[in-house]
Amino acid sequence: MKNEVVRVITPFPLIEEQKEIIKKHLSRLSPQEDFVLQEEVDPSILGGVIIIWEEMLIDCSVKTQLQKIKERILKEVS
Amino acid sequence: MIRIDWSIVFQIINFIVLVLLLVRFLFKPVVQALENRSKHIEEQISAADKAKKEAEDLRMKLEEEAQKIQEKYLEMIEEANIEAAKIKENIINEAYQEAEKIKKEYEKKAQKEVEKLFSQLKEEVVDIVEAIVVKILKAQITPEVQTQLIDELLGEALSQIEAQMEVSYEK
Repeated sequence: MKNEVVRVITPFPLIEEQKEIIKKHLSRLSPQEDFVLQEEVDPSILGGVIIIWEEMLIDCSVKTQLQKIKERILKEVS
Repeated sequence: MIRIDWSIVFQIINFIVLVLLLVRFLFKPVVQALENRSKHIEEQISAADKAKKEAEDLRMKLEEEAQKIQEKYLEMIEEANIEAAKIKENIINEAYQEAEKIKKEYEKKAQKEVEKLFSQLKEEVVDIVEAIVVKILKAQITPEVQTQLIDELLGEALSQIEAQMEVSYEK
C-alpha cells in the first residue's frame, strides 16, 4: 500500500467517522492507495468538503453548491 | 315778213356761250373736286375701317394673350399647389419617421433601463436570499449533518468522476 497525502478542507475539524467516510469514498478511485488526510479548516465553505488530490479538485462544499444554485437562478430568471 | 330781233338772238348766243363756258370752266372742276373729295372721304373711311379692323385684331390678340397668361397663371398656381402638397406630405412623413425613430430609441433605452434595474433587483434579491440561507445553514449544519453532507456530496461527486473515467476508458 502506498501513502497518498490528500488535502481535505472542511468548515469544522473532522471527527473520526467523517475521516473514515472520506477514506472509504477515495478508495473507490484508487483501492491500492492508503490515503493520509491533511486537514484544513475553512468556515466560509459552510458545510461539505473540498478534496485536493494531486491535480484533482473535488469540491463538495455547501458554499459551491449555493453558488451554483445562485448562478442558475440568475440565469433562468431573466 | 318776219322780223328778227337780233338782240334776243345775241342774248341766246351769249347764254349758250355762257353755259358752255360755265360747263367748261366751272362745272367740271367742281365735279372733279367733289369726286376727289368723295374719293378722299372713301379712302379715309377705308383707312378708318382698316385701322378699326387692325385694332379689333389687336384687341382679340391681346385678349387671347391675356387668356393664355391667365391659363398659364392658373396652371402655375395648380402646379405650385401640387408641389406644396408634395412638400407638405414629405415634411409630415419625415417628421413622422423622425418621431417614430425617437420613440423607438426611447423605448429601447427604457427597455434597457428596465432590464438593468430588473437585473440589479434580481441580484440584490438573490444576494439577500443567499445571506439568509447562509445564516440558516450556519445554524443548521451540526456535526451529524456535516457527516451526512460529506457522505452524500462526496459519494455523488465520486460517482460522477467514475462515470467520466469509464467514458474515457471506453474511448
